[in-house]
Amino acid sequence: MKRKLINLLSFVGVVAIAIVLFSFVAPQDQKAGAAWKIPAEYKSMKNPQKATPDLINVGKMAYAKSCKSCHGGAGLGDGPKASSMKTKINSFKDAKFQAQADGEIYYQSFIGRDEMPNFEKKVPDTEDRWAIVNYIRTLK
Amino acid sequence: MKKNILFISLLLLISTFAFAQEDSTGVKVKDKPVRSPFESGYLIDAQTTVIPNAHTLEFVIQHKFGTVENGHSDLWGIYAAGSNIRLGLNYVPVKNFQLGMGMTKKNMAIDANAKWTIFEQTRKNTHPIAVALFGNVAFDGRNESAFESGMVRKVSYKMPVTFRFSDRVSYFSELIIGRKFNDWLSLQAGVSFTHYNAIGLAYDHDKVGVHFNGRLKVSPQGSIIFNYDNPLKIKKISEQLTWTNHPKPNFSFGYEISTSTHAFQIYASATNSILAQDNMMWNQNEFFSGQYAIGFNITRLWGF
Repeated sequence: MKRKLINLLSFVGVVAIAIVLFSFVAPQDQKAGAAWKIPAEYKSMKNPQKATPDLINVGKMAYAKSCKSCHGGAGLGDGPKASSMKTKINSFKDAKFQAQADGEIYYQSFIGRDEMPNFEKKVPDTEDRWAIVNYIRTLK
Repeated sequence: MKKNILFISLLLLISTFAFAQEDSTGVKVKDKPVRSPFESGYLIDAQTTVIPNAHTLEFVIQHKFGTVENGHSDLWGIYAAGSNIRLGLNYVPVKNFQLGMGMTKKNMAIDANAKWTIFEQTRKNTHPIAVALFGNVAFDGRNESAFESGMVRKVSYKMPVTFRFSDRVSYFSELIIGRKFNDWLSLQAGVSFTHYNAIGLAYDHDKVGVHFNGRLKVSPQGSIIFNYDNPLKIKKISEQLTWTNHPKPNFSFGYEISTSTHAFQIYASATNSILAQDNMMWNQNEFFSGQYAIGFNITRLWGF
């Protein structure tokens, strides 16, 4: 009788621990990111680079290396890493996103916040950063 | 031969000053370095002229399986005994200068290395080529008994009576010249000097070699890469009457995938060496006779 009780308690204990542990690995819903607080200097920042085909190509190369794994090849927010993020990645095709000023996209892309990390060191050349902004513009 | 090497070295040094003079007296427009002539400092078994940004730490895993010669019996070398691996760390304290160290399975080696990109190729051809120097010193970490089988030191040409720590040491130095021709093609050529402090009687202490490698970019993240190393038969620096044990040229090719912080290269390579001096002194595999192994490199960068 005592042995049966120990077995029962052990079973209940294992199930309880499993429930607790599974709660950490069960898929969680991704939350929408809060509105960006972009400093005024970035809102009014002018894009110094013209969107020439050559520079867009530079942007495409740099986008593939630094952005594609999360944002996806077409900018839909469906890259291989996207599903592991807590925050939902919005599409670059979204009209609301494209309605932003270039400086705002620059801030979001390279200064970043939370799960969108700072990319200033990974893309050190400002010309390349604007090239990425210009390429993102072509994804609408 | 030594005179020739000295002459080439001086010529390159003078050409460096020539570029510098042009910069100081000529055009004031800033000519930026070309973008990513290579995706990493590593190209299969070779070094490139590329050094990551200053204050970057790089971790590298270089692995080679055994040769594919035995076919499916050892799963084309994956289960073979002759595998080799190196774990390395590199740090860039100042722009275009890198210090590194690593541990290699073969000969239980520990190496320390330095690379200096003397100048980078620039977009407006102020510098039409990139030039880099790479130096590596490796310490053979095997038990002393591994050094007691007829090894000689170059200075005395006598069998060592007592083992010295310096008998473990070997060196490799290379001058690398590279050019990114366009968005998809970058090529490099190099000349190197390898020296072993102590080596078997039937071998040479010194080897001069030439190197040729490059990449063909086929997508924004993917490139076909290749490398060729040829240890030269130079009678003047050889200590042998015949070329019986002369190392064979190494050929390798593969595919590279890169992101902003990673480079992943998978390749087939003749040599089972990872350290350059080991390859230049000991490779006896011939790629086109089917003596090649599958290998891969992974690099990871952290910016500080």
